[in-house]
Amino acid sequence: MAKYGMVVDLERCQGCRACMEACKVENNTTESMFWMYVFRFEEGTYPDTKMSFLPRPCQHCDNAPCVKVCPVGARYKREDGIVLTDPDRCIGCRYCSLACPYGVNYFNYQKPQDAYYALGIDWEDPDVTSVTGGVVPPYKNPDHDLLYGEEQRRTAGGGHAKGVMEKCTFCVHRVENGMLPACVETCPTNALVFGDVSDPDTPISRYVRAREPWHLLEETGTEPSVMYVGGKPPTLALTEIERPKARV
Amino acid sequence: MATTARGRPALPQGIGRVTPGWWAFFAATLIVLAFGIVAIIRELTAGMVATGMRDVGTAGGATWGLYISMVVYFIGVSFAGITVAALIRIFDIERLRPIARMAELLTIVSLILGAFAILVDLGQPLRGITNLFGFARPQSPFFGTFSLVIAGYLFASIVYLYLGGRRDAALMAKHPGRLQRFHRWWAAGYKDTEAERRRHYQTSFWLALGIIPLLIVAHSTLGFVFGLQVGRPGWYGTLQAPAFVALAGVSGVGHIIVLAAIIRRLLGAQRRITMEAFSWLGRFLMVLLAVYLYFMVVELLTLLYATPEVEKRLSDALLTGTYAPIYWGSVAALVLPMIALMWQALARRWNVGILVASGVLVNLAAIGKRYLVVVPSQTHGTLLPYEVGSYSPSWVEYGVVLGLFALGALLVGLFIKSFPVLPLEAEEEVSVDA
Repeated sequence: MAKYGMVVDLERCQGCRACMEACKVENNTTESMFWMYVFRFEEGTYPDTKMSFLPRPCQHCDNAPCVKVCPVGARYKREDGIVLTDPDRCIGCRYCSLACPYGVNYFNYQKPQDAYYALGIDWEDPDVTSVTGGVVPPYKNPDHDLLYGEEQRRTAGGGHAKGVMEKCTFCVHRVENGMLPACVETCPTNALVFGDVSDPDTPISRYVRAREPWHLLEETGTEPSVMYVGGKPPTLALTEIERPKARV
Repeated sequence: MATTARGRPALPQGIGRVTPGWWAFFAATLIVLAFGIVAIIRELTAGMVATGMRDVGTAGGATWGLYISMVVYFIGVSFAGITVAALIRIFDIERLRPIARMAELLTIVSLILGAFAILVDLGQPLRGITNLFGFARPQSPFFGTFSLVIAGYLFASIVYLYLGGRRDAALMAKHPGRLQRFHRWWAAGYKDTEAERRRHYQTSFWLALGIIPLLIVAHSTLGFVFGLQVGRPGWYGTLQAPAFVALAGVSGVGHIIVLAAIIRRLLGAQRRITMEAFSWLGRFLMVLLAVYLYFMVVELLTLLYATPEVEKRLSDALLTGTYAPIYWGSVAALVLPMIALMWQALARRWNVGILVASGVLVNLAAIGKRYLVVVPSQTHGTLLPYEVGSYSPSWVEYGVVLGLFALGALLVGLFIKSFPVLPLEAEEEVSVDA
């Protein structure tokens, strides 16, 4: 059985946020949801300042606090290490999002159709509906509605539904078909490396052997599947350059 | 003897007689309840976007807010009712017996409100009910809240109220009227024989013995919902569960004092609910308050003496920042009643007005403290350097919470008007028999 993991090379990341964009396009997430998020930090005071970046996907923890607290087993851990949300079972208590120290969970506070980036487009406009066929958003990835894994359950990729939780799926619909997650595929500097860490011959295993990976918030004991190389663990002294401005 | 318009002898304690004042009370509660229902409908149609809650992290919000604070508060209030009722039974505290039933009533009503508050907080309320039956996981700290508190503890309390009320129901059922069917149903063939009395006494006694450990565990599980989360500064800690139990007792006993004073005034029952009963409740509240204040000081000292970086941001927000008015307001609303209670205990003179004011204050403090456990750890407690967030409840949340309080008042009012809230006395039994 494969055991999936991701390495984030902070020496390569240039903070372009192409991964965030790729994630949004691939997973049709609504406004204000960032399954993949890249912190852009600033340190020090002008003129002695330094910028740094920190991509933050779901860490797909081996000791996942979100899985432990879910009262109905909607959040589950697969044998291959991927942590998923079953949108058909989630009751919307949002406990997972508070148990998670990384802040990767996003809740559907409203009907997703009302929360998509409108960009000044009136989805109801006849001229628009003649092109979109009345579907919001106009393109929805059909792979999301399929069942995945031994469990044969839907994942949050297909779960944009009012009142349920969702988060990064490691693009399970792509991984199961032999492709890389969208963020990894897109990264122009190859700062993201994805693969089977149980197989010593994969690029990710070579990466892990060659460098000294560290985990985000190691002290919380979550045993993440996402590893970081280069850079240094973030502290609260860092401030974000800008905060995502999004309408919920 | 007082009679009704149709010439029937009036029921004791004003049961079945709805005076204009009571009509006004019911109308007021129904209006507020209707406002709450409008708010719930708004939340169900629009989604949780109608509330002030937002995701923790990039959205800079709190995803648990006023609702969860009120869940914890309501379930906390329920603690004292059944504790007092059980203590009366176990230690045979005769002077408290008249308040046993209203204490049980308070427990049941506040548990119902707590359950509703959980439901309105869910993104998928209906699924919340069905999926819990289908897929509940004991590993989740929430399991205790759903199973022990809402199911076990509510059920035990209802059995308790039912058994304790059967004798009075049988007496009331002798009296013709619209409520006779209800009283007969409650009495369920009870004849008040010696064997039945003994059986009831024994059942209630063992139930009382069983219910106290059950409710300590149940309230602790509510503390564990927060206390087990290592990823949220301010939540993780061994003191969380015991402090939850202590504050539950404080708010609950405070509530019983207020309710007992209101019913005493309403029914002119100064002779039944004696000053000794109030002094007992006042002393009980004082002890619980002392325990809670002790926990609070220990917590504060730990926070200030050995503050790790992430906790410092939180403690600054609590003590001097955004949440300082609520924090120090709550502290004042706990310390002032403590002083008033100690003074009364030392002077051995108890004043119902001061006791009621203390009861109200400690309840306001309890709501404030619950809010401060739930919210700041989200807005100011992220371990990754997200920007500091903010949360303020929307009108929908205020509306729902007001509606819940109105529902509680309505349920208590309906009970008072349909069943003897004070156990029937010898002369009242005669009037029923007549």
